[in-house]
Amino acid sequence: MSTVESTNGKILVAKNLVEVYRGTSQPALDGLSISINAGEIFGLLGPNGAGKTTAISIMNTLLKPTSGSVTICGIDVVRYPSRVKGLIGFVPQGIALYSNLTARENLRFFGRMYGLSGKELEKRISEGIELVGLKESADQRVFTFSGGMKRRANLAAGILHKPRLLFLDEPTVGIDPQSRNLILERLAAMRDRTTMVYTTHYMEEAELLCSYVVIIDAGRIIAEGSPGELINGIPGCSNLEALFITLTGKQLRD
Amino acid sequence: MAMHKLWSSVYKELTLLYRDFTGLLVLFVMPVVLVIVVTLVQENVLKSMGETRTQVLLIDNDGQTVGHGIEESLRKSGFVAIIKELNGNKIDIVMAKKAVAKGEFQFCIMIPEGITEAFRKKAKQSVKNSITIGDIKGRAQIEKSPDIPDLLVYFDPALRETFWRGMIGSLEKVILGIEASEKMKIFSELLPIGIETATKKAMGPMWSEEFKSAIPRIHLEWDNKPLMAVKEKVSQYGNLTKTPNTVQQNVPAWTLFGMFFVVVPLCGSLIRERQNGMLARLLTMPISYLTIISGKIIAYVIICMVQFVLIMIVGKVLFPLLGTSVLDAGSSPAALILIALSAALAASGYGILLGTIARTYEQASMFGAVSVVIAAALGGIMVPVFVMPKIMQDISIFSPLSWGLNAFLNVFVRGGDVKSILPEVGLMLSFFLSTTFIAWFYMSQRGRIHIQ
Repeated sequence: MSTVESTNGKILVAKNLVEVYRGTSQPALDGLSISINAGEIFGLLGPNGAGKTTAISIMNTLLKPTSGSVTICGIDVVRYPSRVKGLIGFVPQGIALYSNLTARENLRFFGRMYGLSGKELEKRISEGIELVGLKESADQRVFTFSGGMKRRANLAAGILHKPRLLFLDEPTVGIDPQSRNLILERLAAMRDRTTMVYTTHYMEEAELLCSYVVIIDAGRIIAEGSPGELINGIPGCSNLEALFITLTGKQLRD
Repeated sequence: MAMHKLWSSVYKELTLLYRDFTGLLVLFVMPVVLVIVVTLVQENVLKSMGETRTQVLLIDNDGQTVGHGIEESLRKSGFVAIIKELNGNKIDIVMAKKAVAKGEFQFCIMIPEGITEAFRKKAKQSVKNSITIGDIKGRAQIEKSPDIPDLLVYFDPALRETFWRGMIGSLEKVILGIEASEKMKIFSELLPIGIETATKKAMGPMWSEEFKSAIPRIHLEWDNKPLMAVKEKVSQYGNLTKTPNTVQQNVPAWTLFGMFFVVVPLCGSLIRERQNGMLARLLTMPISYLTIISGKIIAYVIICMVQFVLIMIVGKVLFPLLGTSVLDAGSSPAALILIALSAALAASGYGILLGTIARTYEQASMFGAVSVVIAAALGGIMVPVFVMPKIMQDISIFSPLSWGLNAFLNVFVRGGDVKSILPEVGLMLSFFLSTTFIAWFYMSQRGRIHIQ
């Protein structure tokens, strides 16, 4: 298996990704090319329908691109998805947990799906639960949780196996500032061992957390760089949100 | 490692089902209740106790031989309870028609006044017309038969056709018996007189009263038992000696129906996982789609087998306590397990297919439930296939419930063994493989998702 070291520190390289869904003529992705360095928190930003979820779905093995290539740790995602799956983690936008299982039981199930077992599995579960601040309620069923607790448990299920690359699809949507703050803190603390691809509509989050940001619209990159570089590059923009509106316009996207 | 993941998946499914009280009701209690209710409704359990006999109102305006004959024959049949008074009053036709129309009674038989007299006249005429002795002409002297007033049978409009046709058939049989008896009586009277008259005429002066005693007389004191008996024999494969009863026919049919209802929770579980992003999360993990659906299939097959065992226990233990016959499960437990397993796989495969193709839970649950009812109706669960119109019989061979039922009946009531059910088992397993493959193929094509 290839390693990050053999790919010049690039953990993910996507070249000319094109995705045209059946029955549509407009491509969802139109030649997207990105590369992500190890240890980076990579912000993938864009308005609704820009192609963020499609890009993540291709990169995390869910979707085959119409054309183009993606490698993760040097492994071709399209040709060898099963090899890539052990290296990545995914925190979906929805609460992808079994509501009738406890948080611990959910993590145990997902841990087993990642191939963990025995004491190592139980150790990871305890670490995960502690990391997201659910120690007191780990043995409660998920349906009894608040929105913030569910989001935190959702995150724990994605990082249980310590992935090399973690995809986070709007992980803080619809929760209170306390839970959001905890999630952002924990993600920032994980950057040493886990590279992240982060999508969000909260620009202040991206500005705070991401080391590199790509803004896409209509499946194409319209701006990229560190948040500071991007803000400084456009006169009159004091923050990422202002920059985002300037670049993508005020027209509503559905 | 793959096995470890598979069993974790099965354990997860079973835990989720165990914690879903409504789901448990649907999966275990409802099929058992269904089997009990349908069997008790169809089993003529109270017949032997004289409590479920059909209630028949009888208005006998005749009060003579024919009226008495009909009443006596109906009473002897044991299938009907004759009621001649309501609330201590003699029933009149208006009262009777009203009660039957309201469904309080199934039938009303109205025997018209003077039917015996008219009946006798007609029988006499009929016998006379059939006798020709010497120059005493029979058919040549046919006289016009007198009209007999109609015997009227009113029935509840909600009554099934087979039921009232059965009653009409029984009445016709009774009348035929009375008619034969009357005709024989008249024949026995007329024939010696005819012979005597003809002999007297032929012998002329040589006739002597001594000859009279030599003329044959017909005595109607013969045994009333039928000369030829109709004996019921069950055609079967093996050594089954017991006559199949309602329990043996209903239990397999409705067990199968209950087993196929797992398609609703199964496809619901798949759709929920797809809608809340669970499937997407699972598909990014080092686990194959085949393992994901196999976990579900195994869990639901276990559920079906538990359902099957529960219903068998109900048939063996509970039914006798409720007064029905005990369930005789045939002579091949291995065959029964094989059928139940194949039916469970077929039902699970169908659930997987529906859960993969349907877009919403509402779509899947409605379509799933209705399609199982249709397949059950076509498969002979509700009405035997042989009584269906030809076109429906031709369609019924495509119903997996028909295959399952046929296999179950082979063992339960035809005394069949494992060999006898292999064709049906093969069909059910093929159905399982086909539906699972189509689901897998559909999934792989939808959005070209990686599902290896």
